[in-house]
Amino acid sequence: MFDRRLFRPGGPVPQREREWPSFRGAINEAMREEMRRDPAVFQMGEDIAGASPFGVTARLVTEFGTERVRDTPCSEVAVVGAAVGAAMGGMRPIVEFQFGDFLSVAIDQLTHQAAMLRYLTGGQVKVPIVIRLPCGGGQGAGSQHSQSLYSWFAHAPGIKVALPATSMDAKGLMKSAIRDDNPVLFFEHKALYRTRWPAPAEFRDPNHVIPFGRAAVRRIGDDLTVVATLTMVHHALAAAEALAKEGVSVEVIDPRTLVPLDTETIIQSVRKTGRLLAVDEAYLTCGIQGEVIALVTEHAFQALKVAPRRLGNPGVPVPFAPPLEDAVLPDQERITSAIRDMVSA
Amino acid sequence: MNVAMHLGLLRTMLLIRRLETAWADAYFQEEIGGIPPALSTGQEAVSAGACAALEPGDYVFTTHRGQAPQVARGLDPKRIMAELYCRRTGYNKGKSYHVTDVTRGVIGMGGIVAGQVPVAGGMALAQKLGRSDRVSMAFFGDGASNEGAVHETANLAAMWTLPLILLCENNGYCVTQPVAVAVKAVSIADRAAGYGLPAAVVDGNDPLVVYDAVAAAVARARAGGGATLIEAKTVRLGGHLAHDPQSYRSKEELAAAWEQCPIKRMRERLLAEGLLTAEGYARMEAAVEGEVAAAVEFARQSPFPEPREAFDDLWA
Ligand SMILES: Cc1ncc(C[n+]2csc(CCOP(=O)(O)OP(=O)(O)O)c2C)c(N)n1
Ligand SMILES: [Mg+2]
Repeated sequence: MFDRRLFRPGGPVPQREREWPSFRGAINEAMREEMRRDPAVFQMGEDIAGASPFGVTARLVTEFGTERVRDTPCSEVAVVGAAVGAAMGGMRPIVEFQFGDFLSVAIDQLTHQAAMLRYLTGGQVKVPIVIRLPCGGGQGAGSQHSQSLYSWFAHAPGIKVALPATSMDAKGLMKSAIRDDNPVLFFEHKALYRTRWPAPAEFRDPNHVIPFGRAAVRRIGDDLTVVATLTMVHHALAAAEALAKEGVSVEVIDPRTLVPLDTETIIQSVRKTGRLLAVDEAYLTCGIQGEVIALVTEHAFQALKVAPRRLGNPGVPVPFAPPLEDAVLPDQERITSAIRDMVSA
Repeated sequence: MNVAMHLGLLRTMLLIRRLETAWADAYFQEEIGGIPPALSTGQEAVSAGACAALEPGDYVFTTHRGQAPQVARGLDPKRIMAELYCRRTGYNKGKSYHVTDVTRGVIGMGGIVAGQVPVAGGMALAQKLGRSDRVSMAFFGDGASNEGAVHETANLAAMWTLPLILLCENNGYCVTQPVAVAVKAVSIADRAAGYGLPAAVVDGNDPLVVYDAVAAAVARARAGGGATLIEAKTVRLGGHLAHDPQSYRSKEELAAAWEQCPIKRMRERLLAEGLLTAEGYARMEAAVEGEVAAAVEFARQSPFPEPREAFDDLWA
């Protein structure tokens, strides 16, 4: 469904950007608008002023200069820590990681410092930072450049987690992230960067934001609820489309943020359909899929007609060779077959 | 003067260059996909010289730019190439292109910048605790030198007198960032004094100079004298990865860098010294080309791993 050509040439097509903004262009636009609006917003990251790997910060330096678009040395602990301190000092830093996996290097600064300082100081400080994390597999980028690690961080108290799946959401959620007074992790699936999505009129409105904690019902259906994020939203929609021809009606819910999570919309949906499939690239064990299922089971157990199911990486590093990589990631086909099993059970 | 050794160093550098060129070709011709190749073009002398100073039982821990030390330690170009082609016959069975051959003391750890440095310290600790006289060497870049992992390891290695060589391969860039705007110190090796370690700064485009510095560090480590920080100053001639057009470097800068090409320098020196003839070099080139062609052929003919193999090798 998504091509593997992430690193191949194939630049932006500016004339199409207006009607069909690209995912990466949408994030760029959100950051640009917020930097214009609020002088406290600034950026730090490796090669973000020069040539960042996926071009999300392209040309920001021309408008805002190297004071506000700061190239950093390869020092993730110092940079995340600097973001935390600068945020306490009244700034609103945005930090780019070249690949989200590398946040592992700076976890203490995030989970123990950024995320806990407000609580530990009895509410005296706030830490408004955004950390941008390219994530996801399917690109032949290797095990340490392909993960979807939000379950690690949703587990830690004090961190918000955004997972945009379209250009519109990328822009609106990024603006909310920047305006939020808490640490926000913003996960950007690499396969989405070059995709283009139709933009409603409000896409151009610099005051339009998409609030955290509100799921998008991407497709309405009666027989089964799929909860999916990032690229899996699109795999699920394609599966739903195909299954409609077989008379199976699938509802697809994209939570858009994991923290806060719109449990209400998910539970409502399962009360209607009686079936729940949670799909994500996250490792299954202690993954976000299990959290969704637990919430539904706690709140709507009586509504369930069959046992909920989850799809995800079964628990191996995302391997380098394409046939191995395909073996560990969920896709349209696996979603379709899981849904078939569940509705015929 | 050891003629065979000098010719051997030239041949190693040539094999690294040509094998990697074939890898890049495979990428540009879309025979392989995924993350683009990280080439050591221009930096071959560092691995050739440094690995020549090692013996069986010594370990090297490589970076994302790891093919040079693999070749320099005598790994089979066929199985290196097969891994780069994601084939089952590759050293890592298609799991990761950070090629590892434990039997030859090459541990591939390129995914996380600086991640290999503490681990190399740990191998050195095992070598010391095992009362062997073997040593470990951590390759890392100028960019990696700004990671906390490197500083912590340097201090630990100094305190514990570990048989470790910290080999900083300073190629002038961390992706697009010149080292001059990432490191305030005059040189990275200057930091050694702060750790209490001996250090050397060497011309990383001369394999003999690198060899001498590493051989001295290895001798000290084998004798129980502990760790050394060596900074090999070299030049990255290609992009950060093969697809990088290097728009951030001037033509003049690159032209000057190519003048320092370690293969060119070594070849010209050996020719001038009468240790190599034009025919001799042509024969060496032909032999290397043959080896590379065979490696590519082997990789192409090898099968991909089966999907179920994705689940092998997770647990010991
Ligand atoms: C912890 C971490 N941060 C950032 C990266 C992205 N990255 C990959 S290679 C590289 C450059 C490192 O520069 P240097 O250490 O000088 O090695 P060189 O590429 O020059 O060989 C960077 C920043 C990474 N892989 N891991
Ligand atoms: Mg470098």
